[in-house]
Amino acid sequence: MKAGSYSRFLWMLGFGVVVIFLVSIFIGRYPEPYWMPPGTLFRDSLAQKLVLNLRLPRLVIALLLGMVLSGAGAVMQMIFRNPLVEPGFLGVTQGAAFGAAISILWLGRHPLIIELTATFFGLLGLFLSYWLSRKIRFGGWVLRLVLSGIAVSALFSAGVGVLKYLADPLTELPDLTFWLLGGLWSVTWRDVIYVLPFALLGIIVPLAMRWRVNLLSLNDETAYSLGASATRERLILLFAAVSATAALTAISGIIGWVGLIIPHIARRLFGASADKSVPVAMLLGGVFTVISDDLARSVLPGEIPLGILTSAFGALLFIYLMINVGMQVRHEE
Amino acid sequence: MRNSILSLRGITFSYHQEDPRVIRNLSLEIPEGQITAILGPNGTGKTTLLHLMLGLLKPASGQILLAGKHHSEYSRRELSRILGLVPQFESIPFNFTVLEYVLLGRSPYLKPFQTPGPEDIKLAREALEAAGVLHLRQKPVTELSGGERQLCHLARALAQQTEILLLDEPTAHLDLENQSRILRLLRKMSGRGISVVLTTHDPNAAVFAAENFVLVDKGDIFAEGELDQVINAQNLSTMYNTPIRVEKVNGLTMVIMDKQK
Repeated sequence: MKAGSYSRFLWMLGFGVVVIFLVSIFIGRYPEPYWMPPGTLFRDSLAQKLVLNLRLPRLVIALLLGMVLSGAGAVMQMIFRNPLVEPGFLGVTQGAAFGAAISILWLGRHPLIIELTATFFGLLGLFLSYWLSRKIRFGGWVLRLVLSGIAVSALFSAGVGVLKYLADPLTELPDLTFWLLGGLWSVTWRDVIYVLPFALLGIIVPLAMRWRVNLLSLNDETAYSLGASATRERLILLFAAVSATAALTAISGIIGWVGLIIPHIARRLFGASADKSVPVAMLLGGVFTVISDDLARSVLPGEIPLGILTSAFGALLFIYLMINVGMQVRHEE
Repeated sequence: MRNSILSLRGITFSYHQEDPRVIRNLSLEIPEGQITAILGPNGTGKTTLLHLMLGLLKPASGQILLAGKHHSEYSRRELSRILGLVPQFESIPFNFTVLEYVLLGRSPYLKPFQTPGPEDIKLAREALEAAGVLHLRQKPVTELSGGERQLCHLARALAQQTEILLLDEPTAHLDLENQSRILRLLRKMSGRGISVVLTTHDPNAAVFAAENFVLVDKGDIFAEGELDQVINAQNLSTMYNTPIRVEKVNGLTMVIMDKQK
């Protein structure tokens, strides 16, 4: 698409996000499957409560989740110079899963405690990956952080395995498994308030620095010669993106593929330059998770875990892009 | 000799303690507005020298003066408005268009949260025109040939509007036509007052473009000066450790490997 059509597309996409958000308020299983006629809202007090206390906070979190994961993915793929990186990378997702598992097993199953421990261990995953990368004596910045992220994720993942093994199969294991599958069924306004500062950080910082992300995808010496403080700027972006991811993962459980596939689609639409691909990825990501969550809570009488749907759609899109369009994963050395 | 724009005085540097690639007590003056070629065998510290000049590496001892002022007296942003770099390998993993890529050269003039404006786009187009690759502006960087790519790297550095251009092996892996395009372009830039420092292991490329020559061997300066003082059979044969002849044909200096000995 031509550069001139970019701003028009962005406005249309923003408008689309608003429309889909408003329409989603009426999607669900009450008073009947799939659709609540808007007039019901004026007559039925249960419908009002349902929309206000359950659907609205859930939609807000779904929107923020998609925006944060896709924005973080777009930024991380650029600064790691690797189109297959996603925000769960660097031990964050597995760390958060480990934290949630500890909370479910031993600290009581209060949602706030699960969120706090998951966020704490998600950030711990990031710090461990970063600390380990500084201890490695070979390779460039990207390679060291990638290797550390793989190792830390594997350790936390093994920890989750141990906790699953220890969990009571009748009470704790189902809770843990359902959390790991990912979903937004228990979201309340309290969660929105808790996550909002992190989410805004994870949206505003990548948006503000979106053009500089391009600089950070170049060689260290080139970025340096262009006046970038590459390490410091990368750390600022990573901290914003990853802490937002950890806080949202604490509420949603593991939501895969959004942060991997949506940035690819954004780059395919308007090219690689991050000043265009980051805003587009955020809006597309928001639409993707809101629609996925609409399906998760309306298609079957019981809830389908959101993580299953995003993984299924994400993987199908990935296969489609690989076979039909030729993905932009060319690596130049 | 002209005024020097960049002075290295008594520089000592090594990557870590047991590293054999060591620079010891090296001093060097880079003349203003000329092309200086740093010649030497592979692995003798040419790239290290460029990175020291850029400020990317810090010397263990000694001083680097830029227009008479110490390196550390400049902010990062000021330095990036004075010194531009074209590295030997520049990997660009994403499909930026040539224009998007060259626009990155404007970053020293943009605030942290600013994106390039019409003036930056105009200057990037001028840089592409100067490098003779304006017609490629909408092409993805990853689809360019080796020669086109190197010209785009140069255009990116030109858009930076620096007084000094540092180039690491700018003609390596290029055919003769592209070598000549790059070197002629550097001469044109030098004619406009830009000081150019390039490293190369090819003496003929250096002779074609440069006015000032520095021979570097094992982290030390072996010889330094103008063409006739530096580029001779004895210097080159000793430095490259192989018999080399230097011939003058119709006023052109040619460096040839000697088959006879």
